[in-house]
Amino acid sequence: MITGTPLRGSVFNESLVFAGQLLTKWRRAPVVPIQSVLFPTFLLITYYLLVGKSVLNITGTDSLYGLVPTCAIAGAFSGALAAGLAMSLERDSGLLSQLWALPVHRASALIGRMLAEAIRTLASTAVILIVGIGLGLRFHGNVVSLLLFLLVPVLVVIVFSLMVIAVAVRAKDGTVLIWLALPAITAVFASSGSPPIESLPSWMWPLLRFQPMEPIVDSMRILSQGGFPASQLLIGLAWTTLGIVVISPLAIRGYRVAAESGGVQG
Amino acid sequence: MSAVVALTERTVRATLRSDLPLAIVAPVGNLIAFNFLLSGVIDTGGMSYAQYVLPVIVIQAVFLGALTTVERAATDQRTEFGKRLGTMPISTVSPLMARMLYCLMRGALSLLAALAVGYAFGFRISGGLGYVLAFTVLTLMFTLALSLAADAAGSSVATAAASQLFVAPQMLLVVLSTGLAPLDSFPDWVHPFVRDQPVSQVTEALRGFAGGHVVASNLIASVAWCAGLFLVFGTLAIRMQRRTE
Repeated sequence: MITGTPLRGSVFNESLVFAGQLLTKWRRAPVVPIQSVLFPTFLLITYYLLVGKSVLNITGTDSLYGLVPTCAIAGAFSGALAAGLAMSLERDSGLLSQLWALPVHRASALIGRMLAEAIRTLASTAVILIVGIGLGLRFHGNVVSLLLFLLVPVLVVIVFSLMVIAVAVRAKDGTVLIWLALPAITAVFASSGSPPIESLPSWMWPLLRFQPMEPIVDSMRILSQGGFPASQLLIGLAWTTLGIVVISPLAIRGYRVAAESGGVQG
Repeated sequence: MSAVVALTERTVRATLRSDLPLAIVAPVGNLIAFNFLLSGVIDTGGMSYAQYVLPVIVIQAVFLGALTTVERAATDQRTEFGKRLGTMPISTVSPLMARMLYCLMRGALSLLAALAVGYAFGFRISGGLGYVLAFTVLTLMFTLALSLAADAAGSSVATAAASQLFVAPQMLLVVLSTGLAPLDSFPDWVHPFVRDQPVSQVTEALRGFAGGHVVASNLIASVAWCAGLFLVFGTLAIRMQRRTE
Protein backbone atom coordinates (compact mmCIF):
# COMPACT_ATOMS: atom_id res chain seq x y z
CA MET A 1 0.00 0.00 0.00
CA ILE A 2 1.41 3.36 -1.01
CA THR A 3 0.91 6.21 1.42
CA GLY A 4 1.69 9.69 0.29
CA THR A 5 0.71 13.12 1.45
CA PRO A 6 -3.06 13.41 1.69
CA LEU A 7 -4.78 15.18 -1.16
CA ARG A 8 -5.70 18.71 -0.20
CA GLY A 9 -8.69 20.50 -1.60
CA SER A 10 -8.74 24.12 -2.59
CA VAL A 11 -9.21 26.76 0.10
CA PHE A 12 -12.58 27.60 -1.44
CA ASN A 13 -13.88 24.01 -1.29
CA GLU A 14 -12.71 23.59 2.29
CA SER A 15 -14.26 26.93 3.23
CA LEU A 16 -17.53 25.77 1.68
CA VAL A 17 -17.45 22.67 3.89
CA PHE A 18 -16.89 24.80 7.00
CA ALA A 19 -19.66 27.19 5.92
CA GLY A 20 -22.00 24.24 5.35
CA GLN A 21 -21.18 22.86 8.79
CA LEU A 22 -22.01 26.22 10.42
CA LEU A 23 -25.24 26.63 8.46
CA THR A 24 -26.31 23.11 9.46
CA LYS A 25 -25.51 23.89 13.09
CA TRP A 26 -27.56 27.10 12.94
CA ARG A 27 -30.45 25.22 11.39
CA ARG A 28 -30.45 22.65 14.20
CA ALA A 29 -29.99 25.13 17.05
CA PRO A 30 -31.64 28.21 15.56
CA VAL A 31 -30.43 30.91 17.96
CA VAL A 32 -28.46 32.66 15.23
CA PRO A 33 -31.30 32.63 12.64
CA ILE A 34 -33.71 33.82 15.35
CA GLN A 35 -31.40 36.72 16.15
CA SER A 36 -30.78 37.59 12.52
CA VAL A 37 -34.34 37.18 11.20
CA LEU A 38 -36.85 37.27 14.05
CA PHE A 39 -35.19 40.13 15.97
CA PRO A 40 -34.99 42.58 13.03
CA THR A 41 -38.45 41.59 11.76
CA PHE A 42 -39.87 42.30 15.21
CA LEU A 43 -37.87 45.51 15.34
CA LEU A 44 -39.13 46.62 11.94
CA ILE A 45 -42.78 45.99 12.76
CA THR A 46 -42.71 47.50 16.25
CA TYR A 47 -40.56 50.50 15.32
CA TYR A 48 -42.71 51.19 12.27
CA LEU A 49 -45.81 51.16 14.46
CA LEU A 50 -44.01 53.53 16.84
CA VAL A 51 -42.66 56.16 14.42
CA GLY A 52 -44.48 55.50 11.13
CA LYS A 53 -47.31 57.94 11.72
CA SER A 54 -45.06 60.67 13.17
CA VAL A 55 -42.43 60.48 10.40
CA LEU A 56 -45.15 60.60 7.74
CA ASN A 57 -46.50 63.79 9.36
CA ILE A 58 -43.04 65.40 9.46
CA THR A 59 -41.59 64.40 6.09
CA GLY A 60 -44.55 63.30 3.99
CA THR A 61 -42.66 60.13 3.02
CA ASP A 62 -43.00 56.60 4.34
CA SER A 63 -40.42 55.77 7.03
CA LEU A 64 -40.19 52.19 5.72
CA TYR A 65 -37.63 53.23 3.10
CA GLY A 66 -35.22 54.04 5.91
CA LEU A 67 -36.38 51.46 8.45
CA VAL A 68 -36.02 48.38 6.23
CA PRO A 69 -32.28 49.01 5.58
CA THR A 70 -31.76 49.97 9.24
CA CYS A 71 -33.39 46.78 10.51
CA ALA A 72 -31.64 44.62 7.89
CA ILE A 73 -28.24 45.80 9.11
CA ALA A 74 -29.26 45.64 12.79
CA GLY A 75 -30.35 42.04 12.14
CA ALA A 76 -27.07 41.20 10.43
CA PHE A 77 -25.24 42.59 13.46
CA SER A 78 -27.32 40.75 16.04
CA GLY A 79 -26.93 37.49 14.12
CA ALA A 80 -23.16 37.96 14.10
CA LEU A 81 -23.27 38.62 17.86
CA ALA A 82 -25.25 35.43 18.48
CA ALA A 83 -22.67 33.52 16.43
CA GLY A 84 -19.93 35.20 18.47
CA LEU A 85 -21.53 34.03 21.73
CA ALA A 86 -21.38 30.47 20.42
CA MET A 87 -17.77 30.96 19.39
CA SER A 88 -16.49 31.58 22.91
CA LEU A 89 -18.20 28.31 23.92
CA GLU A 90 -16.52 26.53 20.99
CA ARG A 91 -13.18 27.85 22.20
CA ASP A 92 -13.78 26.68 25.79
CA SER A 93 -14.98 23.22 24.72
CA GLY A 94 -11.89 22.75 22.54
CA LEU A 95 -13.83 22.59 19.26
CA LEU A 96 -11.77 25.40 17.69
CA SER A 97 -8.62 23.44 18.53
CA GLN A 98 -10.03 20.28 16.97
CA LEU A 99 -10.90 22.16 13.77
CA TRP A 100 -7.43 23.74 13.80
CA ALA A 101 -5.82 20.29 13.91
CA LEU A 102 -7.61 19.10 10.76
CA PRO A 103 -5.46 18.63 7.62
CA VAL A 104 -6.95 21.63 5.84
CA HIS A 105 -5.83 25.13 4.95
CA ARG A 106 -5.49 27.28 8.05
CA ALA A 107 -7.60 30.04 6.52
CA SER A 108 -10.54 27.83 5.52
CA ALA A 109 -12.26 27.77 8.94
CA LEU A 110 -12.29 31.56 9.16
CA ILE A 111 -13.24 32.06 5.49
CA GLY A 112 -15.97 29.44 5.93
CA ARG A 113 -17.34 31.38 8.89
CA MET A 114 -17.39 34.59 6.84
CA LEU A 115 -19.11 32.75 4.00
CA ALA A 116 -21.78 31.37 6.35
CA GLU A 117 -22.33 34.86 7.80
CA ALA A 118 -22.69 36.25 4.27
CA ILE A 119 -25.27 33.60 3.27
CA ARG A 120 -27.22 34.12 6.50
CA THR A 121 -27.21 37.90 6.04
CA LEU A 122 -28.33 37.61 2.43
CA ALA A 123 -31.26 35.41 3.48
CA SER A 124 -32.25 37.58 6.45
CA THR A 125 -32.09 40.78 4.36
CA ALA A 126 -34.38 39.16 1.79
CA VAL A 127 -36.85 38.17 4.55
CA ILE A 128 -36.83 41.69 6.04
CA LEU A 129 -37.37 43.21 2.59
CA ILE A 130 -40.37 40.90 2.06
CA VAL A 131 -41.78 41.91 5.46
CA GLY A 132 -41.20 45.56 4.51
CA ILE A 133 -43.09 45.04 1.25
CA GLY A 134 -45.87 43.45 3.29
CA LEU A 135 -45.99 46.58 5.45
CA GLY A 136 -46.28 48.83 2.40
CA LEU A 137 -42.79 49.43 1.00
CA ARG A 138 -42.61 49.56 -2.79
CA PHE A 139 -39.20 48.66 -4.23
CA HIS A 140 -38.78 51.01 -7.21
CA GLY A 141 -35.32 49.83 -8.30
CA ASN A 142 -34.46 47.33 -11.04
CA VAL A 143 -32.90 43.86 -10.64
CA VAL A 144 -29.39 45.31 -10.27
CA SER A 145 -30.64 47.66 -7.55
CA LEU A 146 -32.28 44.73 -5.78
CA LEU A 147 -29.08 42.71 -5.95
CA LEU A 148 -27.04 45.61 -4.58
CA PHE A 149 -29.65 46.19 -1.86
CA LEU A 150 -29.22 42.58 -0.73
CA LEU A 151 -25.42 42.64 -0.98
CA VAL A 152 -24.71 45.87 0.94
CA PRO A 153 -25.50 44.32 4.38
CA VAL A 154 -23.33 41.32 3.44
CA LEU A 155 -20.37 43.62 2.96
CA VAL A 156 -20.97 45.30 6.31
CA VAL A 157 -21.52 42.05 8.22
CA ILE A 158 -18.15 40.67 7.10
CA VAL A 159 -16.40 43.59 8.82
CA PHE A 160 -18.61 43.30 11.89
CA SER A 161 -18.13 39.51 12.07
CA LEU A 162 -14.37 39.98 12.04
CA MET A 163 -14.81 42.46 14.88
CA VAL A 164 -16.99 39.97 16.80
CA ILE A 165 -14.44 37.17 16.24
CA ALA A 166 -11.59 39.41 17.42
CA VAL A 167 -13.52 40.08 20.64
CA ALA A 168 -15.24 36.70 21.16
CA VAL A 169 -12.08 34.58 21.01
CA ARG A 170 -10.47 36.76 23.68
CA ALA A 171 -13.53 37.33 25.89
CA LYS A 172 -14.06 35.48 29.15
CA ASP A 173 -17.85 35.55 28.74
CA GLY A 174 -20.53 36.86 26.40
CA THR A 175 -21.19 40.12 28.26
CA VAL A 176 -18.25 41.79 26.48
CA LEU A 177 -20.08 41.32 23.18
CA ILE A 178 -22.96 43.47 24.47
CA TRP A 179 -20.42 46.29 24.77
CA LEU A 180 -19.77 45.82 21.07
CA ALA A 181 -23.47 45.57 20.24
CA LEU A 182 -24.57 48.82 21.86
CA PRO A 183 -22.44 51.27 19.83
CA ALA A 184 -22.84 49.23 16.63
CA ILE A 185 -26.64 49.11 16.69
CA THR A 186 -26.83 52.72 17.93
CA ALA A 187 -24.72 53.76 14.92
CA VAL A 188 -27.15 51.97 12.60
CA PHE A 189 -30.12 53.78 14.13
CA ALA A 190 -28.29 57.11 14.27
CA SER A 191 -28.29 57.29 10.49
CA SER A 192 -30.69 58.92 8.06
CA GLY A 193 -32.59 55.63 7.83
CA SER A 194 -34.23 55.98 11.21
CA PRO A 195 -34.95 59.59 12.21
CA PRO A 196 -35.51 62.22 9.51
CA ILE A 197 -32.38 64.38 9.49
CA GLU A 198 -34.47 67.54 9.88
CA SER A 199 -35.78 66.25 13.22
CA LEU A 200 -32.27 66.15 14.71
CA PRO A 201 -30.33 69.10 16.19
CA SER A 202 -28.29 70.86 13.48
CA TRP A 203 -24.98 70.32 15.33
CA MET A 204 -25.49 66.57 14.90
CA TRP A 205 -25.71 66.67 11.11
CA PRO A 206 -21.93 66.58 10.43
CA LEU A 207 -21.50 63.74 12.97
CA LEU A 208 -24.28 61.85 11.26
CA ARG A 209 -22.79 62.31 7.79
CA PHE A 210 -19.35 61.05 8.78
CA GLN A 211 -20.24 57.95 10.78
CA PRO A 212 -19.65 54.66 8.89
CA MET A 213 -23.27 53.43 8.89
CA GLU A 214 -24.68 56.57 7.26
CA PRO A 215 -23.56 55.90 3.65
CA ILE A 216 -24.48 52.22 4.02
CA VAL A 217 -28.07 52.83 5.15
CA ASP A 218 -28.45 55.80 2.80
CA SER A 219 -27.32 53.76 -0.22
CA MET A 220 -29.89 51.05 0.57
CA ARG A 221 -32.63 53.67 0.98
CA ILE A 222 -31.79 55.28 -2.38
CA LEU A 223 -31.64 51.87 -4.09
CA SER A 224 -35.12 51.00 -2.82
CA GLN A 225 -36.44 54.34 -4.08
CA GLY A 226 -35.12 53.67 -7.59
CA GLY A 227 -31.98 55.81 -7.57
CA PHE A 228 -28.34 54.80 -7.94
CA PRO A 229 -26.24 55.97 -4.98
CA ALA A 230 -22.77 55.86 -6.57
CA SER A 231 -21.06 58.15 -4.04
CA GLN A 232 -22.69 56.47 -1.01
CA LEU A 233 -21.70 53.03 -2.28
CA LEU A 234 -18.11 54.16 -2.82
CA ILE A 235 -17.86 55.73 0.65
CA GLY A 236 -19.43 52.61 2.16
CA LEU A 237 -16.95 50.44 0.28
CA ALA A 238 -14.08 52.61 1.53
CA TRP A 239 -15.28 52.25 5.13
CA THR A 240 -15.64 48.47 4.85
CA THR A 241 -12.25 48.08 3.17
CA LEU A 242 -10.65 50.12 5.95
CA GLY A 243 -12.48 47.96 8.50
CA ILE A 244 -11.26 44.73 6.92
CA VAL A 245 -7.66 45.99 6.71
CA VAL A 246 -7.62 47.11 10.36
CA ILE A 247 -9.64 44.30 11.99
CA SER A 248 -8.57 41.21 9.97
CA PRO A 249 -5.12 40.88 11.60
CA LEU A 250 -6.69 41.15 15.08
CA ALA A 251 -9.34 38.53 14.25
CA ILE A 252 -6.84 36.14 12.63
CA ARG A 253 -4.33 36.43 15.47
CA GLY A 254 -7.05 36.04 18.10
CA TYR A 255 -8.54 33.03 16.33
CA ARG A 256 -5.13 31.36 16.06
CA VAL A 257 -4.33 31.91 19.74
CA ALA A 258 -7.76 30.58 20.78
CA ALA A 259 -7.45 27.54 18.50
CA GLU A 260 -3.96 26.72 19.74
CA SER A 261 -4.95 27.09 23.41
CA GLY A 262 -6.69 23.71 23.35
CA GLY A 263 -9.81 24.92 25.17
CA VAL A 264 -10.64 25.07 28.86
CA GLN A 265 -11.59 21.42 29.10
CA GLY A 266 -8.83 20.06 27.18
CA MET B 1 -28.77 33.76 55.20
CA SER B 2 -24.96 33.77 55.07
CA ALA B 3 -25.18 31.49 52.01
CA VAL B 4 -27.30 34.10 50.21
CA VAL B 5 -24.82 36.84 51.10
CA ALA B 6 -21.84 34.72 50.00
CA LEU B 7 -23.49 33.80 46.68
CA THR B 8 -24.51 37.42 46.05
CA GLU B 9 -20.97 38.56 46.76
CA ARG B 10 -19.69 35.93 44.32
CA THR B 11 -22.00 37.28 41.59
CA VAL B 12 -21.02 40.88 42.30
CA ARG B 13 -17.32 40.01 42.09
CA ALA B 14 -17.86 38.12 38.84
CA THR B 15 -19.76 41.01 37.24
CA LEU B 16 -17.69 43.97 38.44
CA ARG B 17 -16.03 44.37 35.05
CA SER B 18 -18.85 43.26 32.77
CA ASP B 19 -22.49 43.40 33.82
CA LEU B 20 -22.38 46.11 36.50
CA PRO B 21 -20.70 48.72 34.26
CA LEU B 22 -23.28 47.79 31.62
CA ALA B 23 -26.03 48.51 34.17
CA ILE B 24 -24.73 52.09 34.28
CA VAL B 25 -23.79 52.58 30.63
CA ALA B 26 -26.97 51.11 29.09
CA PRO B 27 -29.51 53.57 30.58
CA VAL B 28 -27.14 56.48 29.98
CA GLY B 29 -26.59 55.47 26.34
CA ASN B 30 -30.26 54.71 25.76
CA LEU B 31 -31.42 58.04 27.16
CA ILE B 32 -28.92 59.96 25.02
CA ALA B 33 -29.82 57.93 21.91
CA PHE B 34 -33.60 58.12 22.33
CA ASN B 35 -33.52 61.76 23.33
CA PHE B 36 -31.67 62.74 20.17
CA LEU B 37 -33.27 60.27 17.76
CA LEU B 38 -36.91 60.58 18.80
CA SER B 39 -37.34 63.96 20.49
CA GLY B 40 -37.90 65.66 17.13
CA VAL B 41 -40.16 62.89 15.86
CA ILE B 42 -42.49 62.13 18.78
CA ASP B 43 -44.91 64.82 19.95
CA THR B 44 -45.27 64.68 23.74
CA GLY B 45 -47.29 67.87 24.13
CA GLY B 46 -45.93 70.34 26.67
CA MET B 47 -43.57 67.84 28.32
CA SER B 48 -39.90 67.65 27.32
CA TYR B 49 -38.97 64.33 25.72
CA ALA B 50 -36.36 63.60 28.41
CA GLN B 51 -39.04 64.01 31.09
CA TYR B 52 -41.40 61.81 29.08
CA VAL B 53 -38.99 59.02 28.14
CA LEU B 54 -36.93 58.52 31.31
CA PRO B 55 -39.34 56.06 32.99
CA VAL B 56 -39.10 53.67 30.03
CA ILE B 57 -35.31 54.04 29.97
CA VAL B 58 -35.33 52.74 33.55
CA ILE B 59 -37.66 49.89 32.55
CA GLN B 60 -35.47 49.06 29.56
CA ALA B 61 -32.44 48.86 31.85
CA VAL B 62 -34.45 46.46 34.02
CA PHE B 63 -35.17 44.33 30.93
CA LEU B 64 -31.48 44.29 30.02
CA GLY B 65 -30.77 43.14 33.56
CA ALA B 66 -33.37 40.41 33.08
CA LEU B 67 -31.51 39.23 29.96
CA THR B 68 -28.35 38.75 32.00
CA THR B 69 -30.42 37.04 34.73
CA VAL B 70 -31.66 34.47 32.20
CA GLU B 71 -28.04 33.79 31.28
CA ARG B 72 -26.94 33.55 34.91
CA ALA B 73 -29.76 31.21 35.95
CA ALA B 74 -29.10 28.99 32.92
CA THR B 75 -25.38 28.88 33.72
CA ASP B 76 -26.01 28.00 37.37
CA GLN B 77 -28.33 25.22 36.27
CA ARG B 78 -26.00 23.90 33.57
CA THR B 79 -22.58 23.98 35.20
CA GLU B 80 -20.84 21.85 37.80
CA PHE B 81 -21.11 24.74 40.27
CA GLY B 82 -24.90 24.50 40.14
CA LYS B 83 -24.78 20.77 40.80
CA ARG B 84 -22.35 21.31 43.67
CA LEU B 85 -24.70 23.83 45.29
CA GLY B 86 -27.39 21.16 45.33
CA THR B 87 -25.25 18.95 47.56
CA MET B 88 -24.46 21.68 50.10
CA PRO B 89 -26.30 22.12 53.42
CA ILE B 90 -28.09 25.28 52.26
CA SER B 91 -31.68 26.01 51.29
CA THR B 92 -32.54 25.09 47.71
CA VAL B 93 -33.81 28.64 47.15
CA SER B 94 -30.58 30.30 48.37
CA PRO B 95 -29.06 30.57 44.86
CA LEU B 96 -32.35 32.05 43.60
CA MET B 97 -32.47 34.54 46.49
CA ALA B 98 -28.86 35.52 45.82
CA ARG B 99 -29.61 36.11 42.13
CA MET B 100 -32.66 38.22 43.04
CA LEU B 101 -30.67 40.25 45.56
CA TYR B 102 -28.08 40.91 42.86
CA CYS B 103 -30.87 41.91 40.43
CA LEU B 104 -32.23 44.43 42.92
CA MET B 105 -28.75 45.89 43.42
CA ARG B 106 -28.26 46.07 39.68
CA GLY B 107 -31.70 47.65 39.24
CA ALA B 108 -30.94 50.28 41.88
CA LEU B 109 -27.64 51.06 40.15
CA SER B 110 -29.38 51.44 36.77
CA LEU B 111 -32.03 53.66 38.34
CA LEU B 112 -29.37 55.91 39.88
CA ALA B 113 -27.49 56.16 36.58
CA ALA B 114 -30.69 56.94 34.65
CA LEU B 115 -31.78 59.61 37.14
CA ALA B 116 -28.32 61.20 37.13
CA VAL B 117 -28.11 61.51 33.35
CA GLY B 118 -31.82 62.38 33.20
CA TYR B 119 -31.18 65.30 35.53
CA ALA B 120 -28.58 66.62 33.09
CA PHE B 121 -31.20 66.43 30.31
CA GLY B 122 -33.83 68.22 32.38
CA PHE B 123 -35.70 65.36 34.05
CA ARG B 124 -37.14 66.31 37.45
CA ILE B 125 -39.20 64.55 40.12
CA SER B 126 -41.24 67.51 41.26
CA GLY B 127 -43.49 65.84 43.85
CA GLY B 128 -41.07 65.70 46.77
CA LEU B 129 -39.41 62.92 48.75
CA GLY B 130 -42.52 60.71 48.97
CA TYR B 131 -42.76 60.58 45.19
CA VAL B 132 -39.02 59.85 44.85
CA LEU B 133 -39.51 56.93 47.23
CA ALA B 134 -42.60 55.72 45.36
CA PHE B 135 -40.72 55.99 42.03
CA THR B 136 -37.89 53.86 43.47
CA VAL B 137 -40.16 51.26 45.11
CA LEU B 138 -42.26 50.71 41.98
CA THR B 139 -39.11 50.39 39.83
CA LEU B 140 -37.62 47.81 42.19
CA MET B 141 -40.93 45.93 42.43
CA PHE B 142 -41.01 45.63 38.65
CA THR B 143 -37.31 44.68 38.66
CA LEU B 144 -37.99 41.82 41.06
CA ALA B 145 -41.07 40.62 39.16
CA LEU B 146 -39.23 40.66 35.84
CA SER B 147 -36.10 39.07 37.31
CA LEU B 148 -38.16 36.18 38.68
CA ALA B 149 -39.67 35.67 35.22
CA ALA B 150 -36.19 35.73 33.68
CA ASP B 151 -34.83 33.36 36.30
CA ALA B 152 -37.65 30.88 35.74
CA ALA B 153 -37.01 31.02 31.98
CA GLY B 154 -33.25 30.58 32.38
CA SER B 155 -33.59 27.71 34.84
CA SER B 156 -36.07 25.85 32.65
CA VAL B 157 -34.15 26.22 29.38
CA ALA B 158 -30.62 26.01 30.82
CA THR B 159 -28.89 26.46 27.46
CA ALA B 160 -26.03 28.77 26.57
CA ALA B 161 -28.26 31.09 24.55
CA ALA B 162 -31.26 31.14 26.88
CA SER B 163 -31.32 34.95 26.99
CA GLN B 164 -32.30 35.11 23.30
CA LEU B 165 -35.78 33.94 24.34
CA PHE B 166 -36.27 37.19 26.20
CA VAL B 167 -35.30 39.56 23.38
CA ALA B 168 -38.55 39.51 21.38
CA PRO B 169 -40.95 39.99 24.33
CA GLN B 170 -38.71 42.76 25.67
CA MET B 171 -38.76 44.60 22.36
CA LEU B 172 -42.49 44.14 21.93
CA LEU B 173 -43.28 45.46 25.41
CA VAL B 174 -40.85 48.39 25.36
CA VAL B 175 -41.37 49.69 21.82
CA LEU B 176 -45.14 49.14 21.71
CA SER B 177 -45.77 51.04 24.92
CA THR B 178 -46.65 54.57 25.95
CA GLY B 179 -43.12 54.74 27.35
CA LEU B 180 -41.56 55.97 24.10
CA ALA B 181 -44.56 57.74 22.55
CA PRO B 182 -48.08 58.80 23.52
CA LEU B 183 -50.96 56.50 22.56
CA ASP B 184 -52.02 58.75 19.66
CA SER B 185 -48.70 58.09 17.87
CA PHE B 186 -49.71 54.47 17.26
CA PRO B 187 -52.23 53.15 14.71
CA ASP B 188 -55.73 52.79 16.19
CA TRP B 189 -55.89 48.99 15.94
CA VAL B 190 -52.90 48.55 18.29
CA HIS B 191 -54.21 51.00 20.95
CA PRO B 192 -55.79 48.39 23.30
CA PHE B 193 -52.53 46.44 23.56
CA VAL B 194 -50.33 49.54 23.90
CA ARG B 195 -52.58 51.06 26.56
CA ASP B 196 -53.07 48.03 28.81
CA GLN B 197 -49.75 46.17 28.72
CA PRO B 198 -47.51 46.21 31.84
CA VAL B 199 -44.72 48.47 30.57
CA SER B 200 -47.24 51.18 29.62
CA GLN B 201 -48.95 50.96 32.99
CA VAL B 202 -45.71 51.06 34.97
CA THR B 203 -44.17 53.89 32.90
CA GLU B 204 -47.37 55.95 33.19
CA ALA B 205 -47.31 55.46 36.97
CA LEU B 206 -43.61 56.41 37.13
CA ARG B 207 -44.28 59.46 34.97
CA GLY B 208 -47.08 60.36 37.37
CA PHE B 209 -44.72 60.08 40.35
CA ALA B 210 -42.21 62.30 38.55
CA GLY B 211 -44.87 64.90 37.82
CA GLY B 212 -46.35 64.78 41.31
CA HIS B 213 -49.83 63.56 40.31
CA VAL B 214 -50.26 59.84 39.76
CA VAL B 215 -53.53 58.44 38.36
CA ALA B 216 -54.95 55.89 40.83
CA SER B 217 -56.05 53.44 38.11
CA ASN B 218 -52.51 53.45 36.68
CA LEU B 219 -50.97 52.78 40.04
CA ILE B 220 -53.40 49.96 40.83
CA ALA B 221 -52.81 48.37 37.42
CA SER B 222 -49.01 48.66 37.85
CA VAL B 223 -49.03 47.08 41.30
CA ALA B 224 -51.42 44.38 40.05
CA TRP B 225 -49.10 43.56 37.13
CA CYS B 226 -46.09 43.40 39.46
CA ALA B 227 -47.96 41.23 41.98
CA GLY B 228 -49.26 38.93 39.24
CA LEU B 229 -45.83 38.47 37.67
CA PHE B 230 -44.34 38.03 41.12
CA LEU B 231 -46.80 35.29 42.10
CA VAL B 232 -46.75 33.36 38.83
CA PHE B 233 -43.03 33.51 38.10
CA GLY B 234 -41.97 33.41 41.75
CA THR B 235 -43.79 30.09 42.09
CA LEU B 236 -42.25 28.84 38.85
CA ALA B 237 -38.75 29.97 39.79
CA ILE B 238 -38.94 28.26 43.20
CA ARG B 239 -40.31 25.11 41.57
CA MET B 240 -37.39 25.14 39.11
CA GLN B 241 -34.94 25.20 42.04
CA ARG B 242 -36.71 22.29 43.74
CA ARG B 243 -36.84 20.31 40.50
CA THR B 244 -33.07 20.18 40.27
CA GLU B 245 -32.55 18.92 43.82
